[in-house]
Amino acid sequence: MTSSACPCCSGLSFETCCGPILAGAPAATAEALMRSRYTAFVRHDLDHVERTHAPEIREDFNRAEAERVADECDWQRLDVLRATEEGDEGIVEFLIQFRRDGQDMRHHERASFRRIDGQWLYSAGEVNPKGEPRRVVKVGRNEPCPCGSGKKFKACCGR
Amino acid sequence: MEPRFACTACGKCCHGLLPLTLTDAVAHAIRFPLALVWTVVRSNAKSYDLATRLGTSVRLPNRKTVAVLIQPTAYLPNHFPCPALQPDNLCGIHADKPSRCRTMPFYPYREEKDQADLLVPRKGWECDVSAEAPVVYRNHAILNRTDFDRERADLLEQAPVMRTYADYVLKYMPWIVNDLAKMAAAPAGGKLVTSLSSFLTATRRTDARELAAAQAPLMQAMAERTRNDPALADFHKNYAGWAKEMERLAQRG
Repeated sequence: MTSSACPCCSGLSFETCCGPILAGAPAATAEALMRSRYTAFVRHDLDHVERTHAPEIREDFNRAEAERVADECDWQRLDVLRATEEGDEGIVEFLIQFRRDGQDMRHHERASFRRIDGQWLYSAGEVNPKGEPRRVVKVGRNEPCPCGSGKKFKACCGR
Repeated sequence: MEPRFACTACGKCCHGLLPLTLTDAVAHAIRFPLALVWTVVRSNAKSYDLATRLGTSVRLPNRKTVAVLIQPTAYLPNHFPCPALQPDNLCGIHADKPSRCRTMPFYPYREEKDQADLLVPRKGWECDVSAEAPVVYRNHAILNRTDFDRERADLLEQAPVMRTYADYVLKYMPWIVNDLAKMAAAPAGGKLVTSLSSFLTATRRTDARELAAAQAPLMQAMAERTRNDPALADFHKNYAGWAKEMERLAQRG
Protein backbone atom coordinates (compact mmCIF):
# COMPACT_ATOMS: atom_id res chain seq x y z
CA MET A 1 0.00 0.00 0.00
CA THR A 2 1.35 3.42 -0.90
CA SER A 3 1.20 6.10 1.71
CA SER A 4 0.57 9.64 0.55
CA ALA A 5 0.88 12.92 2.42
CA CYS A 6 -2.34 13.90 4.16
CA PRO A 7 -4.08 16.84 2.38
CA CYS A 8 -4.47 18.59 5.75
CA CYS A 9 -0.75 19.51 5.72
CA SER A 10 -0.05 17.72 9.01
CA GLY A 11 3.08 16.14 7.56
CA LEU A 12 1.66 12.70 8.36
CA SER A 13 0.45 10.17 5.83
CA PHE A 14 -3.24 10.14 4.95
CA GLU A 15 -3.55 6.62 6.35
CA THR A 16 -2.35 7.67 9.79
CA CYS A 17 -3.97 11.12 9.83
CA CYS A 18 -7.39 11.97 8.34
CA GLY A 19 -7.94 8.64 6.54
CA PRO A 20 -9.38 6.68 9.47
CA ILE A 21 -11.59 9.63 10.53
CA LEU A 22 -13.07 9.91 7.04
CA ALA A 23 -13.66 6.17 7.23
CA GLY A 24 -15.75 6.68 10.39
CA ALA A 25 -13.34 6.43 13.34
CA PRO A 26 -13.93 9.10 16.00
CA ALA A 27 -11.51 12.02 15.91
CA ALA A 28 -9.30 12.16 19.01
CA THR A 29 -9.38 15.95 19.22
CA ALA A 30 -11.38 18.90 17.90
CA GLU A 31 -8.36 19.82 15.80
CA ALA A 32 -8.22 16.35 14.28
CA LEU A 33 -11.90 16.63 13.33
CA MET A 34 -11.36 20.08 11.84
CA ARG A 35 -8.46 18.76 9.77
CA SER A 36 -10.53 15.82 8.59
CA ARG A 37 -13.33 18.15 7.45
CA TYR A 38 -10.81 20.11 5.36
CA THR A 39 -9.47 16.87 3.91
CA ALA A 40 -13.06 15.85 3.15
CA PHE A 41 -13.49 18.97 1.01
CA VAL A 42 -10.20 18.24 -0.78
CA ARG A 43 -11.35 14.67 -1.48
CA HIS A 44 -14.98 15.60 -2.30
CA ASP A 45 -16.20 13.50 0.60
CA LEU A 46 -19.10 15.73 1.61
CA ASP A 47 -20.81 12.91 3.50
CA HIS A 48 -18.13 13.30 6.17
CA VAL A 49 -18.69 17.06 6.35
CA GLU A 50 -22.44 16.56 6.68
CA ARG A 51 -22.31 13.93 9.41
CA THR A 52 -19.91 15.96 11.57
CA HIS A 53 -22.27 18.90 12.05
CA ALA A 54 -23.78 19.40 15.51
CA PRO A 55 -27.54 18.73 15.53
CA GLU A 56 -28.55 22.39 15.82
CA ILE A 57 -26.90 23.35 12.51
CA ARG A 58 -27.39 20.11 10.57
CA GLU A 59 -30.47 21.33 8.71
CA ASP A 60 -28.74 24.58 7.80
CA PHE A 61 -26.12 22.77 5.76
CA ASN A 62 -26.44 23.68 2.08
CA ARG A 63 -25.03 20.47 0.72
CA ALA A 64 -25.55 21.39 -2.94
CA GLU A 65 -23.53 24.55 -2.49
CA ALA A 66 -20.82 22.78 -0.49
CA GLU A 67 -20.41 20.24 -3.30
CA ARG A 68 -20.03 23.08 -5.77
CA VAL A 69 -17.46 24.78 -3.55
CA ALA A 70 -15.52 21.51 -3.31
CA ASP A 71 -15.60 21.25 -7.12
CA GLU A 72 -14.61 24.81 -7.90
CA CYS A 73 -11.86 25.38 -5.37
CA ASP A 74 -8.28 24.33 -5.69
CA TRP A 75 -7.29 23.72 -2.07
CA GLN A 76 -3.74 24.78 -1.40
CA ARG A 77 -3.06 24.61 2.29
CA LEU A 78 -4.46 24.48 5.78
CA ASP A 79 -2.83 26.11 8.77
CA VAL A 80 -4.21 25.53 12.24
CA LEU A 81 -3.42 28.75 14.05
CA ARG A 82 -4.68 27.77 17.47
CA ALA A 83 -6.47 24.84 19.00
CA THR A 84 -7.80 24.61 22.53
CA GLU A 85 -10.03 22.15 24.32
CA GLU A 86 -11.83 22.25 27.63
CA GLY A 87 -13.68 19.06 28.37
CA ASP A 88 -16.22 18.53 25.61
CA GLU A 89 -15.78 21.99 24.06
CA GLY A 90 -13.09 22.81 21.56
CA ILE A 91 -12.06 25.86 19.57
CA VAL A 92 -9.90 25.68 16.47
CA GLU A 93 -8.78 28.77 14.61
CA PHE A 94 -7.55 28.06 11.12
CA LEU A 95 -6.55 29.59 7.81
CA ILE A 96 -7.30 27.90 4.49
CA GLN A 97 -5.61 29.07 1.31
CA PHE A 98 -7.25 28.14 -1.96
CA ARG A 99 -7.75 29.31 -5.52
CA ARG A 100 -11.17 29.95 -7.05
CA ASP A 101 -11.89 31.45 -10.48
CA GLY A 102 -8.16 32.03 -10.91
CA GLN A 103 -7.88 34.08 -7.73
CA ASP A 104 -5.98 33.41 -4.53
CA MET A 105 -8.38 33.31 -1.63
CA ARG A 106 -8.08 32.90 2.14
CA HIS A 107 -10.64 31.65 4.58
CA HIS A 108 -9.91 32.52 8.21
CA GLU A 109 -12.27 31.08 10.78
CA ARG A 110 -12.53 30.42 14.49
CA ALA A 111 -14.62 27.28 14.72
CA SER A 112 -16.34 25.80 17.74
CA PHE A 113 -16.64 22.08 18.31
CA ARG A 114 -18.55 19.98 20.80
CA ARG A 115 -18.09 16.37 21.77
CA ILE A 116 -21.30 14.36 21.92
CA ASP A 117 -21.18 10.65 22.80
CA GLY A 118 -17.45 10.59 22.11
CA GLN A 119 -17.77 12.24 18.68
CA TRP A 120 -16.39 15.67 18.01
CA LEU A 121 -18.84 17.78 15.97
CA TYR A 122 -18.61 21.20 14.33
CA SER A 123 -21.12 23.54 15.99
CA ALA A 124 -20.34 27.13 14.90
CA GLY A 125 -17.82 29.27 13.13
CA GLU A 126 -16.82 32.90 13.16
CA VAL A 127 -15.33 34.03 9.87
CA ASN A 128 -12.54 36.62 10.06
CA PRO A 129 -12.68 36.52 13.85
CA LYS A 130 -11.82 39.58 15.79
CA GLY A 131 -9.02 39.19 18.32
CA GLU A 132 -10.14 38.18 21.77
CA PRO A 133 -10.00 40.99 24.28
CA ARG A 134 -6.57 41.08 25.83
CA ARG A 135 -6.79 39.96 29.41
CA VAL A 136 -4.48 41.76 31.77
CA VAL A 137 -3.54 39.72 34.76
CA LYS A 138 -1.99 41.44 37.69
CA VAL A 139 0.79 39.51 39.32
CA GLY A 140 0.93 39.76 43.10
CA ARG A 141 4.28 40.78 44.62
CA ASN A 142 4.58 37.57 46.59
CA GLU A 143 3.46 35.23 43.78
CA PRO A 144 5.92 33.13 41.79
CA CYS A 145 7.39 35.22 39.00
CA PRO A 146 5.67 34.52 35.63
CA CYS A 147 9.11 34.34 33.97
CA GLY A 148 9.51 30.90 35.48
CA SER A 149 12.59 31.65 37.55
CA GLY A 150 11.05 30.14 40.66
CA LYS A 151 11.66 33.29 42.66
CA LYS A 152 8.96 35.53 44.01
CA PHE A 153 7.87 38.23 41.60
CA LYS A 154 9.08 40.98 43.95
CA ALA A 155 12.53 39.40 44.08
CA CYS A 156 12.75 38.89 40.32
CA CYS A 157 11.15 40.76 37.38
CA GLY A 158 9.02 42.89 39.71
CA ARG A 159 11.99 44.44 41.41
CA MET B 1 -52.85 67.55 -13.83
CA GLU B 2 -54.00 64.02 -13.23
CA PRO B 3 -51.64 61.38 -14.59
CA ARG B 4 -53.06 59.21 -17.33
CA PHE B 5 -51.73 55.83 -18.28
CA ALA B 6 -52.50 52.92 -20.58
CA CYS B 7 -50.33 49.96 -21.47
CA THR B 8 -49.69 49.65 -25.22
CA ALA B 9 -48.19 46.18 -24.93
CA CYS B 10 -44.86 47.41 -26.31
CA GLY B 11 -43.11 44.71 -24.27
CA LYS B 12 -40.32 47.04 -23.17
CA CYS B 13 -40.85 46.49 -19.47
CA CYS B 14 -40.87 42.70 -20.02
CA HIS B 15 -37.05 42.56 -19.94
CA GLY B 16 -34.40 41.97 -17.33
CA LEU B 17 -34.82 41.26 -13.60
CA LEU B 18 -38.41 40.62 -12.59
CA PRO B 19 -39.11 40.74 -8.83
CA LEU B 20 -41.73 38.19 -7.84
CA THR B 21 -43.79 37.42 -4.81
CA LEU B 22 -42.67 34.16 -3.25
CA THR B 23 -45.95 32.56 -4.33
CA ASP B 24 -45.38 33.63 -7.93
CA ALA B 25 -41.74 32.51 -7.88
CA VAL B 26 -42.79 29.03 -6.78
CA ALA B 27 -45.71 28.90 -9.23
CA HIS B 28 -43.48 29.89 -12.16
CA ALA B 29 -40.36 27.93 -11.18
CA ILE B 30 -40.59 25.93 -14.41
CA ARG B 31 -40.17 29.09 -16.49
CA PHE B 32 -38.02 31.62 -14.63
CA PRO B 33 -34.43 31.04 -13.45
CA LEU B 34 -34.75 32.15 -9.82
CA ALA B 35 -32.45 34.01 -7.48
CA LEU B 36 -32.82 36.25 -4.44
CA VAL B 37 -32.05 39.90 -5.08
CA TRP B 38 -31.17 42.19 -2.15
CA THR B 39 -31.54 45.95 -2.22
CA VAL B 40 -30.87 48.48 0.52
CA VAL B 41 -33.35 51.19 1.53
CA ARG B 42 -31.71 53.97 3.56
CA SER B 43 -33.40 55.33 6.64
CA ASN B 44 -34.03 58.71 4.98
CA ALA B 45 -35.94 57.15 2.05
CA LYS B 46 -39.70 57.68 1.74
CA SER B 47 -40.28 53.94 1.59
CA TYR B 48 -38.06 53.13 4.58
CA ASP B 49 -40.80 52.25 7.08
CA LEU B 50 -42.60 50.09 4.54
CA ALA B 51 -39.33 48.40 3.59
CA THR B 52 -38.68 47.45 7.22
CA ARG B 53 -42.07 45.71 7.24
CA LEU B 54 -41.65 43.96 3.87
CA GLY B 55 -37.98 43.12 4.42
CA THR B 56 -35.65 43.24 7.36
CA SER B 57 -33.51 45.72 9.26
CA VAL B 58 -29.75 45.35 9.24
CA ARG B 59 -27.24 47.19 11.37
CA LEU B 60 -24.18 48.03 9.30
CA PRO B 61 -20.59 48.15 10.57
CA ASN B 62 -20.83 51.98 10.61
CA ARG B 63 -23.71 51.57 13.15
CA LYS B 64 -26.32 52.87 10.74
CA THR B 65 -29.42 50.76 10.35
CA VAL B 66 -30.87 50.21 6.90
CA ALA B 67 -33.89 48.32 5.59
CA VAL B 68 -33.11 45.46 3.25
CA LEU B 69 -35.57 44.07 0.72
CA ILE B 70 -35.00 40.53 -0.47
CA GLN B 71 -36.97 39.80 -3.62
CA PRO B 72 -37.40 36.37 -5.16
CA THR B 73 -36.56 37.30 -8.74
CA ALA B 74 -36.63 36.02 -12.30
CA TYR B 75 -32.91 36.44 -12.75
CA LEU B 76 -32.31 37.77 -16.29
CA PRO B 77 -29.77 40.19 -17.79
CA ASN B 78 -31.23 43.65 -18.51
CA HIS B 79 -31.82 43.23 -22.22
CA PHE B 80 -33.06 39.62 -22.03
CA PRO B 81 -36.77 39.31 -22.74
CA CYS B 82 -39.01 37.51 -20.27
CA PRO B 83 -39.20 33.85 -21.34
CA ALA B 84 -42.99 34.22 -21.49
CA LEU B 85 -42.87 37.18 -23.89
CA GLN B 86 -44.05 36.10 -27.35
CA PRO B 87 -42.66 37.30 -30.69
CA ASP B 88 -45.79 39.49 -31.11
CA ASN B 89 -44.81 41.24 -27.84
CA LEU B 90 -47.79 39.84 -25.99
CA CYS B 91 -47.59 37.82 -22.82
CA GLY B 92 -47.70 34.07 -23.34
CA ILE B 93 -49.14 33.51 -19.85
CA HIS B 94 -51.45 36.50 -19.65
CA ALA B 95 -54.14 34.72 -17.64
CA ASP B 96 -51.64 33.48 -15.05
CA LYS B 97 -49.04 36.19 -15.13
CA PRO B 98 -47.27 37.22 -11.93
CA SER B 99 -48.59 39.93 -9.63
CA ARG B 100 -45.60 42.12 -10.46
CA CYS B 101 -46.68 42.26 -14.13
CA ARG B 102 -50.32 42.89 -13.26
CA THR B 103 -49.59 45.77 -10.92
CA MET B 104 -47.34 47.64 -13.39
CA PRO B 105 -46.66 50.49 -13.51
CA PHE B 106 -47.36 50.72 -9.77
CA TYR B 107 -44.93 49.26 -7.27
CA PRO B 108 -46.16 48.14 -3.85
CA TYR B 109 -42.68 48.18 -2.33
CA ARG B 110 -43.31 51.93 -2.16
CA GLU B 111 -46.09 53.79 -0.37
CA GLU B 112 -49.26 54.28 -2.36
CA LYS B 113 -48.94 58.05 -2.08
CA ASP B 114 -45.45 57.87 -3.61
CA GLN B 115 -46.20 56.38 -7.04
CA ALA B 116 -46.56 59.41 -9.33
CA ASP B 117 -43.11 59.21 -10.95
CA LEU B 118 -43.74 55.57 -11.89
CA LEU B 119 -46.39 56.76 -14.35
CA VAL B 120 -43.77 58.58 -16.41
CA PRO B 121 -42.63 56.14 -19.11
CA ARG B 122 -38.98 55.22 -18.83
CA LYS B 123 -36.67 55.84 -21.74
CA GLY B 124 -37.71 53.77 -24.74
CA TRP B 125 -41.02 52.63 -23.24
CA GLU B 126 -44.14 53.28 -25.28
CA CYS B 127 -46.75 53.66 -22.53
CA ASP B 128 -49.72 55.82 -23.53
CA VAL B 129 -49.87 58.84 -21.23
CA SER B 130 -51.88 61.03 -23.62
CA ALA B 131 -55.31 62.56 -23.00
CA GLU B 132 -56.76 59.43 -24.61
CA ALA B 133 -55.52 57.27 -21.76
CA PRO B 134 -57.58 56.87 -18.60
CA VAL B 135 -56.80 58.56 -15.30
CA VAL B 136 -55.30 55.90 -13.05
CA TYR B 137 -54.00 57.86 -10.05
CA ARG B 138 -55.75 60.70 -8.28
CA ASN B 139 -54.82 62.63 -5.12
CA HIS B 140 -51.99 60.19 -4.49
CA ALA B 141 -54.37 57.25 -4.59
CA ILE B 142 -54.53 54.38 -7.06
CA LEU B 143 -57.98 54.23 -8.67
CA ASN B 144 -58.06 50.55 -9.54
CA ARG B 145 -56.22 49.05 -6.65
CA THR B 146 -57.03 45.35 -6.88
CA ASP B 147 -53.66 44.20 -8.21
CA PHE B 148 -51.65 46.61 -6.06
CA ASP B 149 -53.42 45.47 -2.90
CA ARG B 150 -53.02 41.82 -3.77
CA GLU B 151 -49.31 42.12 -4.43
CA ARG B 152 -48.79 44.19 -1.27
CA ALA B 153 -50.75 41.65 0.80
CA ASP B 154 -48.66 38.79 -0.57
CA LEU B 155 -45.46 40.68 0.23
CA LEU B 156 -46.59 41.35 3.80
CA GLU B 157 -47.59 37.72 4.23
CA GLN B 158 -44.23 36.39 3.06
CA ALA B 159 -42.20 38.88 5.11
CA PRO B 160 -41.53 36.49 8.05
CA VAL B 161 -40.11 33.91 5.63
CA MET B 162 -37.85 36.49 4.05
CA ARG B 163 -36.65 37.53 7.51
CA THR B 164 -35.85 33.91 8.37
CA TYR B 165 -33.81 33.81 5.18
CA ALA B 166 -32.05 37.10 5.96
CA ASP B 167 -31.08 35.79 9.41
CA TYR B 168 -29.67 32.62 7.85
CA VAL B 169 -27.60 34.49 5.29
CA LEU B 170 -26.28 36.98 7.84
CA LYS B 171 -25.31 34.09 10.13
CA TYR B 172 -23.57 31.91 7.57
CA MET B 173 -22.36 34.53 5.09
CA PRO B 174 -21.61 37.43 7.49
CA TRP B 175 -19.38 39.20 4.92
CA ILE B 176 -22.56 40.16 3.09
CA VAL B 177 -22.94 42.99 5.61
CA ASN B 178 -19.93 44.66 3.99
CA ASP B 179 -21.59 44.44 0.57
CA LEU B 180 -24.77 45.94 2.03
CA ALA B 181 -22.71 48.77 3.52
CA LYS B 182 -21.21 49.51 0.10
CA MET B 183 -24.67 49.52 -1.46
CA ALA B 184 -25.92 51.88 1.26
CA ALA B 185 -23.02 54.25 0.57
CA ALA B 186 -23.30 54.19 -3.23
CA PRO B 187 -25.55 56.90 -4.72
CA ALA B 188 -27.01 54.40 -7.20
CA GLY B 189 -27.61 51.80 -4.53
CA GLY B 190 -26.91 48.44 -6.10
CA LYS B 191 -28.01 44.85 -5.90
CA LEU B 192 -26.73 41.74 -4.29
CA VAL B 193 -27.71 38.30 -5.52
CA THR B 194 -27.92 35.09 -3.49
CA SER B 195 -28.77 31.58 -4.58
CA LEU B 196 -32.05 29.72 -4.57
CA SER B 197 -30.24 26.76 -2.95
CA SER B 198 -29.47 28.89 0.11
CA PHE B 199 -33.10 30.01 0.27
CA LEU B 200 -34.44 26.46 0.01
CA THR B 201 -32.04 25.31 2.73
CA ALA B 202 -32.78 28.19 5.08
CA THR B 203 -36.55 27.97 4.78
CA ARG B 204 -36.70 24.16 4.92
CA ARG B 205 -39.06 24.00 1.97
CA THR B 206 -40.45 20.53 1.58
CA ASP B 207 -40.81 21.07 -2.18
CA ALA B 208 -37.10 21.88 -2.57
CA ARG B 209 -36.48 18.83 -4.71
CA GLU B 210 -39.28 19.57 -7.19
CA LEU B 211 -38.27 23.22 -7.44
CA ALA B 212 -34.66 22.25 -8.03
CA ALA B 213 -35.67 19.76 -10.73
CA ALA B 214 -37.59 22.55 -12.50
CA GLN B 215 -34.71 25.00 -12.15
CA ALA B 216 -31.77 22.82 -13.20
CA PRO B 217 -32.51 22.79 -16.96
CA LEU B 218 -33.36 26.52 -16.94
CA MET B 219 -30.05 27.40 -15.28
CA GLN B 220 -28.22 25.13 -17.69
CA ALA B 221 -29.86 26.78 -20.71
CA MET B 222 -29.12 30.27 -19.40
CA ALA B 223 -25.49 29.31 -18.74
CA GLU B 224 -25.24 28.30 -22.40
CA ARG B 225 -26.88 31.49 -23.65
CA THR B 226 -24.53 33.70 -21.65
CA ARG B 227 -21.37 31.68 -22.22
CA ASN B 228 -19.65 33.85 -24.82
CA ASP B 229 -20.60 37.35 -23.74
CA PRO B 230 -17.91 38.94 -21.52
CA ALA B 231 -20.42 41.58 -20.40
CA LEU B 232 -22.53 38.78 -18.90
CA ALA B 233 -19.67 36.98 -17.17
CA ASP B 234 -21.25 37.39 -13.72
CA PHE B 235 -24.58 36.09 -14.93
CA HIS B 236 -22.86 33.18 -16.63
CA LYS B 237 -20.91 32.24 -13.52
CA ASN B 238 -24.05 32.30 -11.41
CA TYR B 239 -26.11 30.29 -13.88
CA ALA B 240 -23.37 27.67 -14.31
CA GLY B 241 -22.82 27.27 -10.57
CA TRP B 242 -26.53 27.22 -9.74
CA ALA B 243 -27.16 24.66 -12.48
CA LYS B 244 -24.83 22.31 -10.60
CA GLU B 245 -26.48 23.10 -7.28
CA MET B 246 -29.97 22.53 -8.64
CA GLU B 247 -28.95 19.24 -10.27
CA ARG B 248 -27.53 17.97 -6.98
CA LEU B 249 -30.51 19.16 -4.99
CA ALA B 250 -32.91 17.53 -7.46
CA GLN B 251 -31.07 14.22 -7.14
CA ARG B 252 -30.83 14.26 -3.37
CA GLY B 253 -34.08 15.80 -2.36
